[in-house]
This record gives sequence, structure tokens and C-alpha cells, in this order.
Amino acid sequence: MTSVPERPLEQQITLLELIDRVLNKGVVLTGDVTLSVADVDLVYVGLRVLLASVGTLERLGE
Amino acid sequence: MSEPAPPPSAAWYVYGVVSATTQPEGTGIGARPVELVPEGDVAALVSVVPADEFGEASLLERLNDRSWLERTAREHEDTLERALARTTVVPFRLCTVYESREHVVEFLSAHGPALAGLLQRLEGRIELGVKAYFAGAAAPEPDEPQSGREYLLRRQREREAAEEAARFKSEFAQASHEVLAAAAEEARANPPQPPELSGRADEMLLNGAYLVRRDDGRLAEAVAELESRFGPRGVTYELTGPWPPYNFVPPEVVGT
Repeated sequence: MTSVPERPLEQQITLLELIDRVLNKGVVLTGDVTLSVADVDLVYVGLRVLLASVGTLERLGE
Repeated sequence: MSEPAPPPSAAWYVYGVVSATTQPEGTGIGARPVELVPEGDVAALVSVVPADEFGEASLLERLNDRSWLERTAREHEDTLERALARTTVVPFRLCTVYESREHVVEFLSAHGPALAGLLQRLEGRIELGVKAYFAGAAAPEPDEPQSGREYLLRRQREREAAEEAARFKSEFAQASHEVLAAAAEEARANPPQPPELSGRADEMLLNGAYLVRRDDGRLAEAVAELESRFGPRGVTYELTGPWPPYNFVPPEVVGT
């Protein structure tokens, strides 16, 4: 049986892969929380543009 | 109370929820120690952070600062992964911040049974991610057609190839997700990312998340099987994880 590969912490996870989970998924608290990123959708739009443009620049630089 | 009082500008950053018996370990946001705030059977994994850095006004600004966001996202993720290596984790979204320890305790107390139930359902489980990319239809035949009849035949072949590629595209992603879901306890198909985000020329057609038992290798086997089945037709698969089960916790817990 193939086992699931253990991911070493130093493995390069792309920023996008990470952001897609930590900003879009996971428990969101509303109501009793002082601060949360529940309104982050707007921010994420800006971020997508930012990441996309960085990616494009990196590709152009290759 | 023997604990030293935190500075008035302190805030409580919550990474997620674990069982109250968990031993906190290492450092998290801004290299600050990871601590446990227990209440009943459950506990929040927290770090005490400066309130001004995580105040609403500065947070919006910082989230759009790529280097701050990347560092914070990795510290959040590394903290949860360290916990995940030893115990069950209910991951919270990035930047969930309370103004006092008492507020964290109140939250745990109000949602204790629901959180304990969630920990039980997720016990021993991890999340794996699978993305599938399609390289597209074969390139058109390069040399010039020799006759009008050949030209028409070629156009027809190209049209048929394009139709076949479109049919294949709509079928293989669904078929892949079904095969993968059968090897998992729960499955989610998220919207595929566009090429400018994935950074790949190939079209992403599956962006799936799968909940599996930690020691279960069936999902990796299913990916290998799909690779041998669809790989020759231009599909590549990408397996990531183990992740904390971000895709398998309720998106919202409404506070009191």
C-alpha cells in the first residue's frame, strides 16, 4: 500500500496554494470575535491581482 | 492568578481548536510562543500578539502587503501542521483575533459541544489536495494541404478533435473527482484556478480536497491509477498535503 508522503515543513508550498486555504477555508468567526477576515473577499480580489501580476513578472523574467 | 498580566495592547491570535490535553509547542505568529487556552474538553491554540499590528485598520493594509501576508500565512500554517503531526486540529481562518483571553474562553465555552463534536469527527484525519491539469487538444497538422478535398477532410478532423477534447475535458474532471472521492471519507470540488493564478499554461480542471485517515494510502493509489489512465491523454495530477482539514470544517461559527 502506498502511504501518503510526509511533507517536510521546508517543502516549498506555493503561496497561492497556502493562501487559497488559510484565507478561503477554515472556521470563520463572526459575532463574538474582535477581528476576523470575514470581510476578506474584497482583500482577496486585490491579492489575486497582486499574485497574478507577480507571477507574470516572474515568468517574463525567466 | 500567578500569570503576569499582558500589556494592555495585547490581542489573542487563534490558530485553531484542539483537545484540552494537547501540549502546545514552538512559536507561531511573529516568533511568539504558541500557548493553550483550555476550557472543558477543548482548547484554543493561541499566541499573544500586539493589538496594533492586528487592529482592523492596519490588518487590511497588511493583508495586501505580500511579504507580511506570506510570512503570516506560513506561520499560521506551520503552527497548525506542527499540531496536526500529533493531534486533531480544527483550523481557523488566518487572522482570527480576540481582544482578551476571557473572550477566547467565552467562545470555547459557548461552542464547547460543537467543537468537541467536530474534533471527534476529524480525529485521525488529514486533508489532501489534488489538482488536475489538461494540456489541451493536439496541435493542428503543420504541412500545407495538397488539395481542396484534403483541406476539407483536415478541417473536419480538426473539428472532430476539438469536439472530442471538449467532451474529454468535461468528463475526465468529473470522473477523476468520483474516483478520488471513493478513496476518501469526504470530498470537495473547489472552483479550478485560472492560469494566471495557477502559474501553469495547462488548464486546471479539478481543484479537489479530500478527507482521509492519516495512515490511509488509498488516495495516493487513486491518483497513480488516474495518472496511468488519463496521463497519456495530456492530464497531469498534483497531490499536496497533509493539510489541516481546512475544507472540512464549517465555514462559519456564529458567535453569541
